[in-house]
Amino acid sequence: MAEKQLQSTLAATAFQKQWFGDLRRRVFEERRPYALIQADVPFELFDLLEIPAVSNQWWSSLVAAKRQAPAFLDAMAGDGLAEQLCRYCSLGLATTRYGRAGEAPWGGLPAPRLLCARLTCDCIHRVFSLWAEAFDAELFEIDNPGASELPPRWWELSRHRWRELVEPHRLEFVRATLERLIERLESISERRLDRAALRERLERVNRQEEIFDAARRLIAEAPATPVRMTEQIANVMATQWVRGTNWALAHAQHFYDELRHRVDAGIAACPGEKLRLMWVGAGLWHDTDFYTAFEASHGAVFVWSMYLAFGPDGYIRYGLDEPLDALASRTASFNEFLHHPPWAAEWIVAQAREHRIDAALVLHPKSMKPSATGRLFIERALEEAGVPVLPVEADVVDARAWDPAAARRAVSTFLDERVPQ
Amino acid sequence: MGANDIDELRAGFDLPFWALGSDATSDRGTVVISWPSVPVELVRAAGFSPVFARGGEAPTPAANRVLEPDLFPNRIRQLVEAALNGRLANVAAIVVPRSSDPDYKSFLYLRELTRRGIVAGLPPVWLFDLLHSDGADTQAYDAERARALSARLANLSGRPSGPEDLRREIASANRARAAARRLHSMRADAPLIAGAEILPLLGAFWQLEPARYASLAEAAADSVIDRPPLVGPRVLLAGAPVDSAVQHAAIEAEGAVVVAELSPFGSGAASADIDTSDDPLTALAEHYRRESIAARMPVKALMHKLDDALRGVDAVILSLPPDDATFGWDYPRVRELLARRSIPHAVLTGDPALAATGTDSNRIRTLLGAVASKRETRCG
Repeated sequence: MAEKQLQSTLAATAFQKQWFGDLRRRVFEERRPYALIQADVPFELFDLLEIPAVSNQWWSSLVAAKRQAPAFLDAMAGDGLAEQLCRYCSLGLATTRYGRAGEAPWGGLPAPRLLCARLTCDCIHRVFSLWAEAFDAELFEIDNPGASELPPRWWELSRHRWRELVEPHRLEFVRATLERLIERLESISERRLDRAALRERLERVNRQEEIFDAARRLIAEAPATPVRMTEQIANVMATQWVRGTNWALAHAQHFYDELRHRVDAGIAACPGEKLRLMWVGAGLWHDTDFYTAFEASHGAVFVWSMYLAFGPDGYIRYGLDEPLDALASRTASFNEFLHHPPWAAEWIVAQAREHRIDAALVLHPKSMKPSATGRLFIERALEEAGVPVLPVEADVVDARAWDPAAARRAVSTFLDERVPQ
Repeated sequence: MGANDIDELRAGFDLPFWALGSDATSDRGTVVISWPSVPVELVRAAGFSPVFARGGEAPTPAANRVLEPDLFPNRIRQLVEAALNGRLANVAAIVVPRSSDPDYKSFLYLRELTRRGIVAGLPPVWLFDLLHSDGADTQAYDAERARALSARLANLSGRPSGPEDLRREIASANRARAAARRLHSMRADAPLIAGAEILPLLGAFWQLEPARYASLAEAAADSVIDRPPLVGPRVLLAGAPVDSAVQHAAIEAEGAVVVAELSPFGSGAASADIDTSDDPLTALAEHYRRESIAARMPVKALMHKLDDALRGVDAVILSLPPDDATFGWDYPRVRELLARRSIPHAVLTGDPALAATGTDSNRIRTLLGAVASKRETRCG
């Protein structure tokens, strides 16, 4: 595994391990409730009601990074669940339903009091129903009304004109659902949500994302990127899961300060950077070394992924007089912007231009059908914008069909043949 | 019932989608729909005829260039192919329900293809955002979406419809449903009609004018009632809902009879009536929310339907094609339920709109062989 170049990366990893250890202790020793939720559920509500929330996607990425996914996925396939079904959102389920098949990281997930999922994809209701059954726990679902108004440059509306971004009937529906979620959380925690505290939390989330916005600009504008993509992700995601907390704000600032220092000192993540690459799609959690594999051979460094870039554009909401409406506007179309036309292609091309991207690798996630849609539009738009594209067929958590050497060879050939040096 | 009547019913199911593009005048009175989660009563109340996108053997080279492989069912590929080839240029509108990701994404794709100038001359493409989860919020949301669709259709046709118009349309559709139920009842216990024969007769419910459908379906039931019962294992076809009788034919070629299927084009056409004593738009939305068999149908509701359909069934065949991202998750539950009922099953993985693959044919044969052995053992 590539060495960590930033102190903040080590701090982020240590924080997550400590946080999860504390969670297990609270659950097992103090019998306190926690929640298992999808990444696009508003974590702020859970935190304000003192119900810690574990992200399903974070857990999956951790299992994959610890190289435990194949054992659990084999068990799932052995149970008759077809290989074509989405693995990213279901690996966590597999660690619970087939717990003896492998060794889950850090002692495994304790039983949550509540599972909560936004029904982004057709399979989420199924996966979370099975998971709730396996834990004998309650499931709260946030249904997902579909957008009919499709502003292509959504990020130009999301901060100040977010009411225009989401049709009023969808906003109202999601807000009403969040009200019901708050009722459930209040009942579990035996506390009342302080609406003023919610507004204050969202203001702090804005401040955190503003720091990430500044970090994004640093990376985009510096002569050479000061931070590898993998370290961007480690810092950003550790922070996003507890966004708006004191630790998150302090850590975001620490991350930015370290980048600022590196840029001012002329320190590049890849000395002799020649090519700036973009990774489109979720992270390749089982082989993160892939992202540094072309630095020595080609001076090619991954500069961009959605994880840092989406923070400022996806989360910031100004005008918080009605904080639940603002939260609903974020929740209503959250990850659609990352995958579907017209939003994803427009945003990714704009990001490619801003970051001076030389070439893009676009994930073709065979078993993640919802995330796989829209990629042809993205590829076409990037190519039209002059960015050569290499599709990469892979599963983000399932290493069983992944040939690391062949993948690296394919990228090398692509860089040699299609990307002007 | 004469052969002409049977032909008319079959044609009412098989032909309308493939005929689009051949008669501009007829197309202008047509609203194309991707899946029967859109209330046809609303479409008819506005003076339009509903036509449903259907899977088939026709190649889809244009669609394949814009749709990712293995993500979209055959019917969506055919819909996008028709759009790209100009066959939908004259239809009044395309309405896509929110009932599955592929449907919703076909809405986004069609809009994007238009925005990017890849396809020109498409009619309006609308999303009918029917949600399927339980709860008062969802019911109110769906009713409002039905109201909005009704208004859009009325605006398009210039023919506003009031509650009484809609009640009349629903009553007419209910009479057609009653005829479909009677026809479907010929499959219960000792089946009088094969699945491959009846599916088009039931599926025609969605596209034929209701009074005409009711008349033809009643006549079909009259003609079937004196037939000798069909022998062979009675099979339920479940999993991803089919939109053709191709798998029925493959199963029945091996000596079985498909007596029900979890599909709106088969058993689902024979659903309960819609009660119009209160607000008809609310009643319509609620009916389609509860009854539309699609990927967004909650698993508990789907399992209830499966449980109900198991009565008198000897075997179950699950269709889980490569594009399925949903119904495969139900497999552990379905397997457990079938084990409790001692009903054997098999899983088919081919495209249900195409002829069975060799693997699927073998799976059917193996399953039915096991059922036959079990029957022989039971009969001594």
